[in-house]
Amino acid sequence: MLAMPRLSTGPISKANPALLWLVCVVLGFSALNTPAQADPEKPQHVSLSADLARQQLLISWFGGTATTFDLIILRTEFNETVYYARVSATVNRASGEYRFIWTSDVPLECTSLSVGVRSRDGQKTSEWSQNQIQGRDFPTNSRFQMYPQDRIVPVGANTTFCCIVEEGKVFKSINYSGTEIKATRLSRRSYAATAVSQTASGTTGSNVICLSTDNKLSGAVVFVGYPPLPSNFSCETHDLVSAVCQWSKERDTHLVGRKRETVFSIMGRSCAEKSPEQKCTLRQWDGNWTLVAVNPLGRHSLTDSADISHRVSPVAPVNLTSIAHAWNATLYWEWTYSSYSSLALVCQVEITSHGNKTELFSGGGLRSVVLSDLQPDEHYRVRIRCGSQRNFWKWGNWSQVLSFTTRAYVPNPPDVWMWMNRDNTGMVVWKPLTRQQSRGRMKSYTVTFWNLEEKLHTQVVPADTYSVPFNLSQMVSFSDGNKVEAKVVANNVDRSSEPSKVPLRLIDVEPLVFSRVVYGDGGFRLNWEHNASATCSYLVEWYDALCMRDCAVDWIPLAAGSTNVSIESENFQPGVRYNFSLYSCPSDAPELIQRWQGYTQELVPSSSCHLSVSQQKSDVILTWNEIPLADRRGYLRGYNVYMNNGFQLTLLSNLSNLGMRSYTVKGLPVGSYKFTVKAYTSAGEDSGTTVSIKMEDTDDLILEILASLGMVTLLLVIATVVCFKKRKWVKNAFYPDIPEPKLPSDWSRTPGPLDVKPSLHSMVHIVERPERDPSKDALVIIPEEDEDDEDQAVGDEPVDTDEPQSLRYYNDAVDERPIRPRFPDSSFSSASSVDSANTDVTYTGIQTSCSSLVFQLDPQSSAEGHQHHSNSCGGGGGVYWPQMHPTALGDTSGPASSEPLLDSQAACSGGYKPQNSWHLDSPTQAGGNNNSLGSPVSIASTQFLLPEEEEHEGEKRASATTWFSNLLSSSRP
Amino acid sequence: LLYFLLLLDVNSTKSVVASRNQMCWENLQQSLRLTRLVNTETKTLFKEYKTYQGEAFQEGFCKAQGIRIPDPTISGLETSERIASIYTHIQAFLPHLKRVQEQQTDLQPPESPLLKKFTIVEDNSRRLAYCIENFYHSSFPNLSLPEPASGPTTLPPPQNVFQQKVYGCAVLKTYKKLLTNIINEQRTLKSRLRRPMDPIYGI
Repeated sequence: MLAMPRLSTGPISKANPALLWLVCVVLGFSALNTPAQADPEKPQHVSLSADLARQQLLISWFGGTATTFDLIILRTEFNETVYYARVSATVNRASGEYRFIWTSDVPLECTSLSVGVRSRDGQKTSEWSQNQIQGRDFPTNSRFQMYPQDRIVPVGANTTFCCIVEEGKVFKSINYSGTEIKATRLSRRSYAATAVSQTASGTTGSNVICLSTDNKLSGAVVFVGYPPLPSNFSCETHDLVSAVCQWSKERDTHLVGRKRETVFSIMGRSCAEKSPEQKCTLRQWDGNWTLVAVNPLGRHSLTDSADISHRVSPVAPVNLTSIAHAWNATLYWEWTYSSYSSLALVCQVEITSHGNKTELFSGGGLRSVVLSDLQPDEHYRVRIRCGSQRNFWKWGNWSQVLSFTTRAYVPNPPDVWMWMNRDNTGMVVWKPLTRQQSRGRMKSYTVTFWNLEEKLHTQVVPADTYSVPFNLSQMVSFSDGNKVEAKVVANNVDRSSEPSKVPLRLIDVEPLVFSRVVYGDGGFRLNWEHNASATCSYLVEWYDALCMRDCAVDWIPLAAGSTNVSIESENFQPGVRYNFSLYSCPSDAPELIQRWQGYTQELVPSSSCHLSVSQQKSDVILTWNEIPLADRRGYLRGYNVYMNNGFQLTLLSNLSNLGMRSYTVKGLPVGSYKFTVKAYTSAGEDSGTTVSIKMEDTDDLILEILASLGMVTLLLVIATVVCFKKRKWVKNAFYPDIPEPKLPSDWSRTPGPLDVKPSLHSMVHIVERPERDPSKDALVIIPEEDEDDEDQAVGDEPVDTDEPQSLRYYNDAVDERPIRPRFPDSSFSSASSVDSANTDVTYTGIQTSCSSLVFQLDPQSSAEGHQHHSNSCGGGGGVYWPQMHPTALGDTSGPASSEPLLDSQAACSGGYKPQNSWHLDSPTQAGGNNNSLGSPVSIASTQFLLPEEEEHEGEKRASATTWFSNLLSSSRP
Repeated sequence: LLYFLLLLDVNSTKSVVASRNQMCWENLQQSLRLTRLVNTETKTLFKEYKTYQGEAFQEGFCKAQGIRIPDPTISGLETSERIASIYTHIQAFLPHLKRVQEQQTDLQPPESPLLKKFTIVEDNSRRLAYCIENFYHSSFPNLSLPEPASGPTTLPPPQNVFQQKVYGCAVLKTYKKLLTNIINEQRTLKSRLRRPMDPIYGI
């Protein structure tokens, strides 16, 4: 009997006006329609009992003999009819009590309900008998509430929740798992909302929250899950006595906790649900089992039955041990239960070494097995499990893993070959032994060189060395016909192998021509013709074709009678040319049968050819060299010659003849051209080499130059001839003879040429002073030692011996000069000239000897055109010293030293006359303490200086005329 | 001689005080470190707790009224009173934490990480209470820790699952506040106990 918490029930103590009105209406209506017969007896003692968990209301009453009743249920507060129906209640014959169970959609706590019952007999009805069940929304229970609490419902169900708002608060919303659901009002404080098609909740349930407008809340939790659904229920025995029953969960119930979790039981014995692999152990083998799984949402049961001999699942073997040999091992183990001694078992041994292998063994009470086909010196891991041989049920659990290592054994003979260089040196090479071949950890290799009679040399190399060099020339004289062979023995930690031998031979024949072989299907397919008379085996070796010495050779021995082989190697690289050689009788007398070359994959050349270009008239000749073999990376198919205009390549020619490495582009007009040559393999072209050339019209240019030279030569010849023929006319026209001066007295001309020589000690030196102060312009005396440099220049100057007296100019820019010129304009002109030239003119040691009258024109001063020097000397051989400005000199040989000389020179310079008269600007000034006043040395010239250009022109003219005059003179007969 | 004896006595007293302060300082440092650890663990637990309580479970639910949880405010005027308040608060929270863990055990699968975190927080909270007790005894050797004024901790009556969720949330939230208050209180104490050799003011 379910415990039904009873809400407070009882007669309506306080008349509800609406209910009373309804009852009166119903009763009145009944009275009007009821004939005057005996009314059915009114139900008595209506009692209400609520099952809150199930939301069921048990209505019971006592009602006499009536079999049908009218039942009405209303929400008391709002007088809303919830249920009204004619029901057939069950009656308890003994007590005469009628019962009816009504299930409510809304939790019974939500609001008060009024229940009315009346008896019905056909159309006759009794009076209503009423009762009321009180909800939790009565005013004295003013707190915030929510119902139902902690309800457990199946997935997909609809659940109605009600919220009783706290007294004085205003309802706001009901949210289910964060989503608001529509609420309806049940009473003044009670609201209901239904969550439909509920999905499975988490372990902590789904939250239903009721909020008031001031965000106060109440909540409930509903657990939505599934009924239990176990599966795969079966029982077995491990110890041949007890039963272990197992099952699995088909689905998660989503229900956790003491009140919600699933409880499992087998034959009434509870099994705790502790792990995903559900298991329950029963002491005895019953043969029939029933598993019952129960949770609040339902129950599920499964059954199983079996004989114990059909359900033997042996336990895992324990205490595994082994005794290992080189090729086999014996494995021992024990059983936990002695009852296994008579049990026929089949066992499975899993052997793990380099890959798994499983072996099966069977027998009664199996406790050991012999593991065969093992490898020497190999590490093995084994584990074992068994099952019942008769009525096999399933394999038992695996035992723990046992490890052991087999013993070492005699290693395999190594696979030996040799490599010969051209100089009769070479290497004996062999392949590393695999783990299976070495049959134990390798220790070393012993290499012995033998001739037919004796051991020549023995060498022991470490286990990680796979070649030994030799020099065949030093070993034996082949003229004797002796043969040398190498024997290689592999030594592991325990034993030594049989020797492998390879004959060593001299290379005395030209190697055979290579034929090409194509790579395909993962290898180089080599084919050759079988020599029926040959009974030897074959060997194919291969190596990188670029290698010339001590090459890394690889090889494969082939059986006698073989005619083809596919050479496969993971070391093959694309773009590398490999040489393949087929030998017969490799272990006795190797003979080269055939050779091949091939690429696994041809690539484009890695470098381009070196290209050169030359012009031949209007043709362009392109020449290039061969691409090195290492850079070809494939078989060259030819060359493509392109004309390159900078943006695109225009194919001029495709040269498939590899020996042809030049190409002539004919008939190109003058201009610039670029050419690109690309070599190509089957993989494509290389990046190419580009050259450029500028075409020129070479023939016309030479002709033009030659013609121009010829014309010039011809003109010169004509001009020379004409001048020579008309030389008299030219002489008269341009250089008429100057008549001899006629002197009144006996003034004969000095016979002989006038010796005109420049004084070695006379020079004019011009000093340039960029920052010169014009007011400080002065003549500067150059020290004596500087004169040597000037001598040659002075001596080269032409000398005009006709000048009777010298005109001398000096820089007149310094105001402190002793005598100023009388004419300011002429002075000004001189000063301007100085300023413009910015030049200091220095007279230094101008001397005139008595034997030579010299008019020196310094080239520099001549070019400047500022000064003219004249000097004259009497028969006393006096020396003229130019006027100097004392203050402008920093030199110690300045005025102090020069003034005495000046005085003495002036005194001895008889016969000198100035060019022009001059006057004193001021008598006072003139009559001052200037000692040079009136001296011919102190002349301030009033002659205008020639402008620079005119002076140059005059100089040039003079120079040209001199040359021409000399020419004519020399040409004179 | 009298002067010498007096000087010896004064020096001996200073030495005892210094030793005691050193112990106080170490206990305070240790309890502060432990409080920080528990605080961090509680924050993590609180965060995960909310996510484990199902959809739409918000921190705002933890304000539900009518749940009797100790006040996280540390009371007392004297230092000894405040340290004692810390101790009694931690002790008062331990049964609540245990109750929440039990309730969650009924809602979570056994392998739930939340349950393990509860265990860690509870264990470290007990260590923290022990540490505070040590600090109190080292600081106030002549005083004994008073019993909680409100008597033994009162746990809530049996609750529905929603109430359990709210209760657990409120307990963790309040405990988090308490730990923050304890840290602040310890910092204040630490600032007052600047150097190991300095006496605590008010002791």
